Amino acid sequence: MNFLKRAWLSLSAKKGRSVLLVLVTTAIMLFVLAGMLIHTAADQATANAKKSVGATLTLSANRSSAFKKMRASSSSSSKPKLKMSSVKLSDAKKIAKLANVASYNATVSASVNAKSFDAISTSSSTSTMPGGASSSSSGDISLSGVTNTSQSTSFTDGTNKITKGRGLTSSDKNTNNVVVESELAKEDSLSVGDTITVKKSGKTYKLKIVGIYKSTSSSSTQMGPGASDPANTIYSSYTLANTVKGSKYAGTADSVTFTISNPSKVNSVKAAGKKLINTSKYSLATNDSSYQAVKSSMNNIKSFADKIVWLVAIAGTIILALIVILMIRERRHEIGILLSMGEARWKIVGQFFAELVMVLVVSLCLAGIGGKFVGDKLGSELMSQQTQSSSATISAPGDSNGGNMGGGSRPSGGAPSGGGQGGGMAVHSSMGGQTGTTSASADTDLDINVTALTMVELGGFGLAIIFLSTMLASGGILRLQPKKVLIES
Amino acid sequence: MLEAKNIGYWYTHKDDYLFKDVNLTFEAGQSYAIVGQSGSGKTTFLSLLAGLDQPKAGQILYEGQDIKKIGMTNYRKRDVSVVFQSYNLFTYMSPLDNLLTAMAITGSQHAGDKEFAATMLKKLGITEDLMRKNVQHLSGGQQQRVAIARTMACDAQLVVADEPTGNLDENNTVEVVGLFQKIAHEQGKCVIIVTHESAVAEMCDTTYRLEKKVFSQV
Repeated sequence: MNFLKRAWLSLSAKKGRSVLLVLVTTAIMLFVLAGMLIHTAADQATANAKKSVGATLTLSANRSSAFKKMRASSSSSSKPKLKMSSVKLSDAKKIAKLANVASYNATVSASVNAKSFDAISTSSSTSTMPGGASSSSSGDISLSGVTNTSQSTSFTDGTNKITKGRGLTSSDKNTNNVVVESELAKEDSLSVGDTITVKKSGKTYKLKIVGIYKSTSSSSTQMGPGASDPANTIYSSYTLANTVKGSKYAGTADSVTFTISNPSKVNSVKAAGKKLINTSKYSLATNDSSYQAVKSSMNNIKSFADKIVWLVAIAGTIILALIVILMIRERRHEIGILLSMGEARWKIVGQFFAELVMVLVVSLCLAGIGGKFVGDKLGSELMSQQTQSSSATISAPGDSNGGNMGGGSRPSGGAPSGGGQGGGMAVHSSMGGQTGTTSASADTDLDINVTALTMVELGGFGLAIIFLSTMLASGGILRLQPKKVLIES
Repeated sequence: MLEAKNIGYWYTHKDDYLFKDVNLTFEAGQSYAIVGQSGSGKTTFLSLLAGLDQPKAGQILYEGQDIKKIGMTNYRKRDVSVVFQSYNLFTYMSPLDNLLTAMAITGSQHAGDKEFAATMLKKLGITEDLMRKNVQHLSGGQQQRVAIARTMACDAQLVVADEPTGNLDENNTVEVVGLFQKIAHEQGKCVIIVTHESAVAEMCDTTYRLEKKVFSQV
């Protein structure tokens, strides 16, 4: 073990050289660590995205098939009518039993008129619709029936947020419990526990407010004939919305959204689900765009982080190898003395390696301190670039049931949100109206943390780099003849 | 103890040899001087005896065994100790660490014994204060004494020295050669000194001269 002592004596005696070696090694380790941290954080972010972003499958009427049937049945005497099928909940339950289906949310949209309170009026809310229909005549309140508000897209994406009371859950099935928007509640002095009444086709329904939600949705872009303010959306259980629509809608939904526990399995669930349904009546559409967007941007970051790690590792190996070669040339005389004493060549190489290991230990400590800072800076820079470039427009074709404008705007079958709701057109034949697009950016943050495991991995990387450097440089030692060094020179 | 048997050496052509058919014997407890003009090949001959290079012809036998068979590294480690004109100490160490390092590498029976190393240094006039300083802070004479102490601290029975007094003044020269005599006569080691100084040669027990590619006893 004498070579270890020599390594220590050499390092401690030549402080200037040792400090320079520590600085160079620290710089190399710092960049390798930053790359590793970003890679790990991107991995973690992708895993988190799987959990938080998720993917959904939406079961709804097959619109294109309905159009084909309409055209096939058309005759010259009568104008053909589009017949859209409601989704039977019994079919939905079969799909819900498939592996990787975490939960499901049935969505039913209906339109009612406020009775005991006033709906929020907009300047265009009473305008006459094309064809002579008045928006007010078809209901000024949009009733959005759901199984569970917390699974409704407007709530999961943060557009709506419960501020008072509670949201609706599956236990609210067959009740008249509702959740109203905070602006509507403020205008009509409504609070949790109050009862309101609405009417539809001459019937009056008493609704009990169990929660108030705040909508951040802006309707300004969708204002126009028939448009209504988002505050006029009341959430109820899907059973209540079905009751309002009529008895023939019992046990059905406009659409059913299934939450997939593992987004990567969404296509296999879709394939399995299609075998359980009549595909000529229903369509089963996937929506994992958010997950794919996050995954794609994280993959880009991971790829970049990998390149950083490898580039720095290769450059670091070359730089360190050159430094060790220079160091060995400078210490040829010392090597000659050691050889003349009969020291084994591997021990001489071992001494240089040990010196670099000692330098590495100090460098690892310094890199550990500075790594998080560099990683944070580099990571946030990468994230901001990725977020700018990965804003993805999510659209779920096949979710459109057509025939109404009064439904939501979320592709995954969530409750209506944003503008464009309410009651202008074809409210009575509402099928949920899952049309529209939304923009989702992959705004997953990189959580950069220096863990013990990262430091161990970095240590391993550092050892590999200095081992390669020493091996590359030690060719000179293996060829060196003591006579040439000590006598001839 | 050490025998050069039909030794020959050349660099490029066999005909352009430095020396050939050299047959010399070196005994334990004796000091030997090898003298000759600069470039005559005496240092090359010493490097062969020290196991730093190999003869082109012939054999070097240590205790009757060819040093090639012993292994050049093993031979240098266990059996021979070299003192150079330029001292060849580890410049980043103190005299004490130089001795301890050499003792550890050569596997001396006193390896790791700081007291023994300090005693050796004291014997050669290196004070407690000096032995803990970096060797570069010592004078030439002091450094050469450290180099000789290093030789004495190791167990090698053969000590070869290449112009050990080349960088020393007259007083130090006498002192250093006296130390080599002590190593030979008191420690029973075989000391071979290559020198161009006749005064140094005169102090040794036996002198060989390398002249016109031929060794002769003076």
